[in-house]
Amino acid sequence: MATMPIERGKIREYATATAAACPVYLDDPKAPVPPTFLATVVFWTPIGETVRAPEVLRACADAGVEADLGSLLSLEQEYVYHGPLPRAGETLQIAERLRDIQVKRTRDGHAMVVIRFAVSFQDERGGLRAECLYTSAYVQRERP
Amino acid sequence: MIELVPGARLPERTFGPVTMTDIVRYQGASGDMDPIHHDDDFARSAGFPAAISVGMLSAGWLAAYCTEHLGEETVRRFRTRFSRVVYRGDRLTASAEVVRLFTCDRESRVELSIQLRKDDGSLVVDGTAEFAVR
Repeated sequence: MATMPIERGKIREYATATAAACPVYLDDPKAPVPPTFLATVVFWTPIGETVRAPEVLRACADAGVEADLGSLLSLEQEYVYHGPLPRAGETLQIAERLRDIQVKRTRDGHAMVVIRFAVSFQDERGGLRAECLYTSAYVQRERP
Repeated sequence: MIELVPGARLPERTFGPVTMTDIVRYQGASGDMDPIHHDDDFARSAGFPAAISVGMLSAGWLAAYCTEHLGEETVRRFRTRFSRVVYRGDRLTASAEVVRLFTCDRESRVELSIQLRKDDGSLVVDGTAEFAVR
């Protein structure tokens, strides 16, 4: 299982990049994470393994949709926090799981395989501290 | 401070006009180095007229807007749905409305519906945010 240290400098950088340069994020050595900060988990482990899971590839093949990572659309991201917000100085354990797969149609009639997956963040004592819930889709390129 | 009752609206805040510097700074900070966000030729080969901004930068601006009003220590849930791509030069306006006040895990919380729109009114990102309140 991958681990992600929550770093003070990274919080400063992320807060500045999102127009959130306030004293809590910039000056507190134990700064809390901004609401979407855990997106930086990609510096510690690749995210999205589950969008290449065998059941996803099977659903794409059945629906006639190419499972091309370059055309994967990010539709939605949700962050859910449990207990105290993660703070600089903590280290979190990361795990990813597939939630479900649905086949839908876009407004212009293209098949679309919608994949929901979750990344969970646990603290050193095993407590669940945050989850990131992703909704992404592979969309058929040509009209059938 | 706005009184948090259903229907109350937070004061709007504008971001941009979006620059390449905004985009590459977010890409460096977030670790998403997809060239579609900073390489115009690459974006054109994918069917866009120019490089497109990062969806999660729009989400991050909405997050900054919410924490500015509700605090940096109290976010409980933050959901964003991506509707439209953003190009350099676009100016974006964040708005939020109180949906409800409720109790969860023995604390009072507020749920906001949040939006980010372009100057022509088109929706870029919408979603919901939940914060603990006193």
